[in-house]
Amino acid sequence: MSARQHAGRRMGDHLILAAVMVLALLWIAPLAWVFALSFKPNAFLAQHTDVVLGAPYTLKNYTDILGTSSVFRWIANSCIVSVTQTLLTLVLCSLAGYGFARTAFPGQKALYVFVLAGLAVPEQAVVIPLHRLFADLDLHNTYSGLILPRLAAPFGVFLMTQYFKAIPKDIEEAALLDSTPRWKIFLRIVLPLSIPAQATLGIFTFLTAWNDYLWPLISASKPDMYTLTLGLAATQSNFAQSEGIGYLMAQAVFAGLPIFVIYLFFQKHIVSAVAGTTVR
Amino acid sequence: MAGIQLVGVNKRYGGTEIIPEFNLEIESGEFLVFLGPSGCGKSTLLRMIAGLEPVSAGQIRIGGQDVTASAPGERDLAMVFQHYALYPHMTVRENMAFGLRNVNVPAAEIDRRITEAARMLELEGMLARKPIQLSGGQRQRVAIGRAVVKEPGAFLFDEPLSNLDAALRNRTRVELARLHQRLKTTMVFVTHDQVEAMTLASRIVVMNRGRIEQMGTPIEIYRKPATRFVAGFIGSPAMNFIDAIPVAAEADCIKVRLADGTELQTGVPTQAARKDAKLVAGVRAESLTLDDASPVRGRADVIERLGERTLVYVTLSNGHSVVAQAHRESPVASGDLVGLHFEPEHVHLFDEAGLAWHAA
Ligand SMILES: Nc1ncnc2c1ncn2[C@@H]1O[C@H](COP(=O)(O)OP(=O)(O)OP(=O)(O)O)[C@@H](O)[C@H]1O
Ligand SMILES: [Mg+2]
Repeated sequence: MSARQHAGRRMGDHLILAAVMVLALLWIAPLAWVFALSFKPNAFLAQHTDVVLGAPYTLKNYTDILGTSSVFRWIANSCIVSVTQTLLTLVLCSLAGYGFARTAFPGQKALYVFVLAGLAVPEQAVVIPLHRLFADLDLHNTYSGLILPRLAAPFGVFLMTQYFKAIPKDIEEAALLDSTPRWKIFLRIVLPLSIPAQATLGIFTFLTAWNDYLWPLISASKPDMYTLTLGLAATQSNFAQSEGIGYLMAQAVFAGLPIFVIYLFFQKHIVSAVAGTTVR
Repeated sequence: MAGIQLVGVNKRYGGTEIIPEFNLEIESGEFLVFLGPSGCGKSTLLRMIAGLEPVSAGQIRIGGQDVTASAPGERDLAMVFQHYALYPHMTVRENMAFGLRNVNVPAAEIDRRITEAARMLELEGMLARKPIQLSGGQRQRVAIGRAVVKEPGAFLFDEPLSNLDAALRNRTRVELARLHQRLKTTMVFVTHDQVEAMTLASRIVVMNRGRIEQMGTPIEIYRKPATRFVAGFIGSPAMNFIDAIPVAAEADCIKVRLADGTELQTGVPTQAARKDAKLVAGVRAESLTLDDASPVRGRADVIERLGERTLVYVTLSNGHSVVAQAHRESPVASGDLVGLHFEPEHVHLFDEAGLAWHAA
């Protein structure tokens, strides 16, 4: 009886596993295609784009990138913007979250609701006023211009507030009795205990910043200030004058490398961040 | 080592008064236990002493100094929490060292104290572990160790044993008693478990709704409960209460008629008691024994054989149920008709206000 149940469950597991594998293959197919095309001569691709595995091969697309493209500049811009934005978001959201979770001040609840209301404001609705504001401040085509508007992160504040609230109060009280000043409780007790939430928020912020398109499109009009997404999009829309599909694909592969490397390092945290669980 | 004084301490949350006015002098070196039912304000009181909760009015003095406005870290106290409250990301050693480093104790001295505490609490092999790698009992010992290394003026404990299983609770209780004998530091201990209170305390403060019901040594409180609340709260099984009406005073002691119509001679001096029309007689199971010659009769329904003694639950003729004690090998069986003997000197009388009168 129990053996049959066991077999039944095993059977179900296998079916799910098979389905997941099919989905994964479907998902990875276009990526594999991009990867394969990046090794083909542009002239060949002008006629066929369906030959994935067969000859001819070339590394010319990659050497071209290394030689001529602005892709490095764009990657550097994306790195500067994403890393700075991630770090500042973590600092701001942690501080704000701790304030909301653990201190009492008049109007605290109203302020918290006000911050959360930011979740309901669609990006497109504020893009024009933001554009005007940054034009007036003369901040377009600067890193500050790319980073600052994204630092208002209601979701991050919400996430950190909830996480801090869930840390048992008596741990902080024990620290108070241990003569720990408030700032030290925050730095030495609360922050280390919130690493899972920091990782989640950091990964989401980084990925969102890396993939961001709308705001950089508005703020960065000089190719020198393009982020990677912007640069690649510009190259694509210039398809007529572009150096060819293979070159484009090589750029895309190149652009994906940093994210791939980050994924290798933070795999455990990314999976749990996306699955909504915490790493211990 | 420090005494603690609470002077006119009052606590309210918004409009609700949790502690009306509390006055208490905790002597230096004593083991004082706050005992009371859930929600009576024990933790609130302890947290006010610790400085984790502000007082609404009144004054708290530790070691003669007014600390009412001082931060928790400035009060020279150590506290052990119910849920251990260890720092989860630090090792056992770091947990103990953290508070000492905050007040700049030299590293060599920190090491010395940790080594000594670890030996005393049998934590020697575990100093490099994180709390998650310890059992509940070990975690509680680390929490106690973290308090001990501070060498504080007084220890505060908020139900530190309630998360442990019965066997471990007994062992840790004995360890705490030993710790007190050894350190002789003031200890303030909060619990709702009367066995813990009776075994650990040099003095018990029984609390009810934010007020002191009675203060005294465990034996005083057991022998001479000041009120019906205390009488019912202390002792297991709980004291039997039977409605009683005073009849003629025989000799110098009050005689009462119990609810089932039988009369009972008590040891309570006549002139002591108020002449209330209605009283309640209280007697513990151990002073209520089986005696077939007694006119107070009832039917035994449940027999609990505890090994060293036997508890007999008896339903009196008026339907009232009491618990009596019989010899461990007593042949009494469920359904037997039994007589109950009251030891007059251990019968307490309670007036309508709940105040107690005892045999001289
Ligand atoms: N922050 C608060 N706000 C409002 N009321 C509170 C607050 N903290 C405690 N109380 C109330 O104060 C009373 C005393 O609480 P306290 O925690 O001191 O009880 P206790 O005697 O320790 O009980 P237990 O044995 O269950 O721990 C309770 O009625 C509780 O509801
Ligand atoms: Mg409590």
